[in-house]
Order: sequence, then C-alpha cells, then structure tokens
Amino acid sequence: MKFRLALSLATASLWYRRKVLALVCLTLTLSVTLLLGVQYLRTEVKQSFTSTISDTDLIIGARSGQLNLLLYTVFHMGDATNNIRWSTFQALEKDARIDWLIPISLGDSYKGFRVVATDKAFKEYFRYGQGQPLKLAGGQWFDGIFDVVLGAGVARTLNHHLNDDVILSHGGGRTSFSNHKDTPFKVTGILEATGTPVDQAVYISLQGMEAIHVGWESGVAIPGRTLTPERAQARDLTPSAITAVFAGLDRKILTFRVQRDINQYAEEPLSAILPGVALSELWRLMSQFERALLGITGFVVVTSLIGLIAVLLTLQAQRAHEIAILRATGASPGLIASLYVIECLGLAVVACLTALVLSSLAISILGPWLLTNYGIQIQLRPLNLDEWVLLASVPLAALLVAFVPALSAWQKSRSQGFGSPEEL
Amino acid sequence: MNSQLLSSADGSIDKPAALETSNLTFCWDRLQPTLRFPDLNLPRGEHLFLYGPSGTGKSTLLSLLAGMLSPASGVVKLLGTEFHTSGAGKRDRFRADHIGVIFQQFNLVPYLTAEANVTLPCKLSSRRQSATGESPTVAAQRLLSALAIPQSHWQRKVTQLSIGQQQRIAAARALIGAPEIILADEPTSALDSDNRDRFINLLLGLAGERNTSVVFVSHDRSLARCFHHQIELGQVSA
Repeated sequence: MKFRLALSLATASLWYRRKVLALVCLTLTLSVTLLLGVQYLRTEVKQSFTSTISDTDLIIGARSGQLNLLLYTVFHMGDATNNIRWSTFQALEKDARIDWLIPISLGDSYKGFRVVATDKAFKEYFRYGQGQPLKLAGGQWFDGIFDVVLGAGVARTLNHHLNDDVILSHGGGRTSFSNHKDTPFKVTGILEATGTPVDQAVYISLQGMEAIHVGWESGVAIPGRTLTPERAQARDLTPSAITAVFAGLDRKILTFRVQRDINQYAEEPLSAILPGVALSELWRLMSQFERALLGITGFVVVTSLIGLIAVLLTLQAQRAHEIAILRATGASPGLIASLYVIECLGLAVVACLTALVLSSLAISILGPWLLTNYGIQIQLRPLNLDEWVLLASVPLAALLVAFVPALSAWQKSRSQGFGSPEEL
Repeated sequence: MNSQLLSSADGSIDKPAALETSNLTFCWDRLQPTLRFPDLNLPRGEHLFLYGPSGTGKSTLLSLLAGMLSPASGVVKLLGTEFHTSGAGKRDRFRADHIGVIFQQFNLVPYLTAEANVTLPCKLSSRRQSATGESPTVAAQRLLSALAIPQSHWQRKVTQLSIGQQQRIAAARALIGAPEIILADEPTSALDSDNRDRFINLLLGLAGERNTSVVFVSHDRSLARCFHHQIELGQVSA
C-alpha cells in the first residue's frame, strides 16, 4: 500500500514539474539515443566491414604483408608492391584443388575511382555479405575490350548512365594529367549498390587494361605508338602480368595447404592470405577507435545523469512544504526518500523508451538514404543482448545516483519539525 | 487564568487523557536557551488553546507533541502511550494513525487535487482508512461538503483555490478517519475575521462529533473563548 502511495505521489509530482523535468529528460533522452546509436552503428559497421568479401578462400598477390595485400585488393587503398606473372596465374589455373580464380589488375583510375581490370569470373564468383553475388542495376557485364562496368557509387557520384563514354586516367589520383584519351570506354553496365568498396570502382577487361597501355611503356604515351580502338581488336592482348588473384577452393579443408604451397612457390615470391583472418586483424586495429567512441558516449550519459541529479537537488528546496506536509501526516523519511528514487528511475525509464523510439525512427528513416548516398548498409533489427544490457545500465545508473537526492531528503526529513523548516 | 488546565473542570477522572506532558524541555542547540513547557493534560474530546507571542516555542511544542522532535527531558504521553521513548518509525506510524495536522499555510500537496489531499492520511494509515467506515473518497467528499467546499472544486488543483478554501481542505484532511488528536499551528493567521470564525466553528464542531481533541496554537488571544482550556506559553520559559 505504501509503495502504491509512493508511486502515485511520485507520478503526480513528476507531472506537476513536467516543464522543468522535460528538459533534463530530453537531455538524457538525447544522450541515450546517442549511446544506442553509437553501439548500433558499431555492430553494423563491423558487420558490413567483415562482409566486404565473402566466399573467397585466398587472396594471392606479390610477396607482402597480409594487411597491405587486403587493403589494396579489397579496399582499393594503397598500391601493390609488385605484380604476378601471367604464367603464375596460368599455373594456378592448372591446380586441381582450386575451383575458381578471379584475376585482378590495378593501377589506373577514373576521376579518383580505382580501375579494376578483371574478367567474367569476377561477376560470376565474387561474393560479399552473406555470400550475395553482384547484380547489375542496368546493362550487362563487359564483353568487348573497351567496355566498362561502373560500381553503383561511381555511377551515382559522376551521374553516369549506360552508353556514356569514359576516359580513364593513367595512375591514381583524382586529377590526372595523363589520360588514355585515345581509347575511350563505353559504359555497358552499372552494378547495384552493395555497401562495399565494390561500389567505388570501375571494372574493365584485362584486355582493355592491356590495350590502353600499349605505347605507354615509358610511363607516358609516346605519340604514334598507342593503339586506336580499331587496331586493338587485331592484337593479342593477353596480359603479361596481373596484380592479384582471388581464389576459391573446392575443399575448404585444403585452404592452409594451398596457402603454404603458394607461399613457397618457387617461380616467384607470392603471398596468399585468408581474407577473413586479415579482415579481423584490420578490425582489431580499428576497434580501438570505436571503443573510444563508445566510451565518450558513455560519459555523455553520465553527464546528463549528473544534470538530472542537480535538478532534483535544486527542486528539493522547492519541495520543503510538501515534504513537511507528508511528514506531519505520518509519512516516514524512507517514503520521502523513495519518492526521489522512483522519480529518478521513472525519468530514466521514460528517457530510455523515448530514446528507443527515437533511434528506431532515425534508423528507419536514414537507413535507405545512407545506403544510396554513402553505401552504408544499416537496417532496423531487434537489439542484441549487449545493447539491451547497455540500455538497461542507464536506469540502473539512475537508480544508483538517485540515492544522492534520496539520502539528502531522508536526512533532512528525519530532523523535520512540525511545519516548514523556515517557520520553526 | 493562564494555566487552568489541570484535570477537567468537573474532575471526571475516568475520562481518558488524549495527551499528557510533564517537565517537558527542548533545546535546538547549545547556543540557544532551553525551552521549558508547562505541563499539559487534555482529556479526550476536549479542546486546548495554546497562546503565546512568537519565539515562545509554540511550533516546537507541537513538534514534540507530534513526535517529530524528541524532548531534551520530560515525558510526552499520547492516548496513554509514552510517546517520546518510542523509535522514530513508531512515532511516524502513531502520527499517521492518531494525529491530524493543520499548518499556518502551505498545507496542501500542490500536485494533488483537493480530494486526494484529504484522503492522503487514509493512504498512510490503514487504521484511519478503516475508521472512515466507507470508502475514503466518500468520507472526503462528505467532509468537503461539510466544510463548504463547492463540489466543482474537489477535483481541482489546490493551488487554484483561495487561502480560506485551502485551510478548510487542510481541516478536512486532519479530520478524516477520526484521529484522536488534531494539532493546528496558527491555521487562521492568514484568514480574515469572517473566514477565521467560520473555520474555527467548523473545525471544532466536526472535531466534537468525532470525539477528537484539538490543540490549537495562535497568537490571537480573542480566539480563546471557543476552547475548553487555554494555556499561555512564554511565561514558563527560562
């Protein structure tokens, strides 16, 4: 009965002071929303990060560290240390344990986006996320030497459509002074958004890559020696070297043996890496940062809780009369203290629930926009255990800090005289 | 005439005492003089008027009688129980069960309706809840009507009501569940004379119906005529 009285008094009191308390509640709501959002983003980003590449068992490149190899092949960051000979690729093709191979040749760019020279195997075998294949939003995968397929991000940023002409640049960088202007490419296909670095690259054939570099052996175009599109058709454009190879094995159990064999390849120094292992190593590096972010957000919540306590303590002065009435009517100091605990807890619960609604609204509204504009895939999903624990820690913390005003009220009301304090 | 309050005038010994004190003293802190209070003995159902200028410890005496302060020395007996020796929790429960209070002003919990303010003691004390005989709400409404609070005001926030109405609602709260004792600390000092007389008549009338003793503190000596007993504070203080 006493608990019900305390609950009804606390509710009425909260409602009576709603104008002041709404502001502190809003502060708390926003900070909890931030906390939830950061935690949610953390898991989603990790998810989308680890799903940048899937089903590929090995990435093979010239001898280098696994992070470097992963960065330049999958994330298009940095440059290859060396190339692989075409004969090596052919030797890998003959390996019975290997199911499929995707050759990749890097080096050029298009207005800041990487050019990836590859073949039909890329469209066929490359997987991301939970083994999702690449899909074309329009057109088809390249067939001719001067066909190009654009990643979704490239097409959107540069506002390209099918059949547009595209001039690739030599080397990386957004503004290049040496363009392959004799050999324009035609957009034959545009990929659907994947939320991975695939969106931020353009895809041409290995032959196309070879063709645009005829006459560029010294690093710049030598007039008269470059190919025209017509002459390119007549030539044998088999590359002499590629940058890296994605490989899928028949039997996953052989992965480590194949990796060792490739690492010990006698003809040239190679490195084979397991993309999953390399991705988690990379994530470990980045997780320091996201943990720091979560920590900062935690402090924001603590700050708002302190603000809440400050307001409750300030209101205590105003409540001297009502406390005097309750005490004189027979309410115990414990009941008075419990009012503060209930009010503080109530505010925290309201803030958490509002934050939950607010963040789900934000995610469902911003999700599609983030995917189309930034290639970040965030979907509304039920909270996981970690997030529930994080959310529940807010009312728990509020319960804990509520003892500050509660104890002070308890102490004051123990020595409370008849009538209001100032009248005595 | 200051202290004609020893036993009842007619000497009926069998009438049980609502409150008794003897040799009561209190001290706020060492720098202030010790307050000494005259001995009181008030039979059930009779009313006591405590008169005294400010600073004579009127409110302090009420605090001691209500069990909210502990005396430095002396005895407080309420309804035959030695009150001052009980623990704080027990005194709180006793107060909830047997004592109604009315303050000078700011008598009501601002976020409750008039009716909820009146039923508050019933929620703190099951004894007073059962003493209403009916539902506390019905008892509250009956008292509010008796104290001339219009029905349209019962569900209003008390801050919207006049001071006179607020004091009468406080009286209803003190009366509900028929406590044996009502302690009133200058409840009429903020009222004009018409309102004051009406308030005292209603309060004492309704208290009489319930066999409730009223201890009424005021600096306005003219009110003394309405009470069975009166006592002046200040003369005894050291």
